[in-house]
Amino acid sequence: MVHEFQYRAPRARSELLAFLAEHGTSAKVLAGGTDLLPNIRMGIAKPAFVVDCKRLPDANRLVFSPSEGLRIGHGVTVSAILQDKTVRENYPLLAEAAHELASHQVRNRATVAGNVVNASPCSDMALPLLCLDAVAVLASAAGERTVGFREFFTGPKATVMKPGEFLAEIRVPPESAGRKGRYAKLKRVKGHDLGIVGVMLASAPDGLRAAVSSASPTPVLVTGIGAGLDAEAVNDLVQKAIKPIDDVRCTAEYRRFMVGAYIRRLLPEVAR
Amino acid sequence: MTITLTVNGVSYTRDAAENKTLLHFLREDLGLTGTKEGCGMGECGACTVFLNGRTVNSCCVLAVEADGAVIETIEGEAGPAGLSEIQKAFDRNHAVQCGFCTPGMILSVKELLKAKPKPTVEEIKEAIEGNFCRCTGYEQIVEAVLDVTGRGSGKGRLDHV
Repeated sequence: MVHEFQYRAPRARSELLAFLAEHGTSAKVLAGGTDLLPNIRMGIAKPAFVVDCKRLPDANRLVFSPSEGLRIGHGVTVSAILQDKTVRENYPLLAEAAHELASHQVRNRATVAGNVVNASPCSDMALPLLCLDAVAVLASAAGERTVGFREFFTGPKATVMKPGEFLAEIRVPPESAGRKGRYAKLKRVKGHDLGIVGVMLASAPDGLRAAVSSASPTPVLVTGIGAGLDAEAVNDLVQKAIKPIDDVRCTAEYRRFMVGAYIRRLLPEVAR
Repeated sequence: MTITLTVNGVSYTRDAAENKTLLHFLREDLGLTGTKEGCGMGECGACTVFLNGRTVNSCCVLAVEADGAVIETIEGEAGPAGLSEIQKAFDRNHAVQCGFCTPGMILSVKELLKAKPKPTVEEIKEAIEGNFCRCTGYEQIVEAVLDVTGRGSGKGRLDHV
């Protein structure tokens, strides 16, 4: 790569946090690298330091307990989510979305944490995390705080994370275990591609939920959709919540149209 | 930074620039030019290699990240006895035209067959969705995989599809 940077691979979380505290935005955390490294190559990101978080001891922790729910370490790959039987059984929505994310090679490297920190409006993993009321554990040299994913995204490629903060872990509450749903994603080609628009419909105690990607500056969650509503009524609610734009991949009008098409397609499967 | 890694069973210790990708390290520092650079962005799969047993796009991995790792490239595919079964099937079925995608394609097929010795056509297509081929139209590649897995059963037929 043309851009030169220094690489660090701390072995302890305290070491990583101290480094981030000292260097702020000139340091970028490297997880899977499937977004960061192409961005450096294209000149979009020009960090002075690249800090690899995969050598921390708890990076790949992926544990479920009925009392605490699921804990997803910052280094857990999208493939690991797909292959974990406990995850598939208790949080099938995570596997639904993971399966649609890019290709094998990317899924083997890309992390769930990286996918949400990147905060693309087309993030696949954001949709199940929203539907499951998951929270992000943000660590910094000053301490830890937790932020629900409903508050996490603030705009395209923007989150509530402050310089010096690190997404240490994602927690999915035990109450969300067993929530089912379906995900449909429109792409230019069958196979791996960035989404043009994506819709996840999921059941929850407060009614049906719809999560939509690539149709607003951030991933969108609509909650409390009445169980008896037909597809047109569900679509009306979702259309009010999204704000799609025209861009290189398609028009806003087409995005709205396909959101409706997917709701009509998925609703009979989810409402069953 | 000095790194040590195993590539196709051989251990190498080299200095690697911190901003060098694993792809460029394999090609330029180790002279293993079988792994190709296509898009350089993790989309085309020409640079696919095994890293610790899983396929990755080596253009999206830094060489320094692979310190201590076990890598397999296309150069490790053929054994002393000649081409591997997958390579022979690609050859028999004309699944290679210009050949640029082939190293990555073969390693993706290898990963598929480790997990699913008898894949369906859909599973084959999904396994190679991250490997772009601009010559064959993919049909011959799918046929090559069916060929090698069909023969794996000893029946020589493709009745598992």
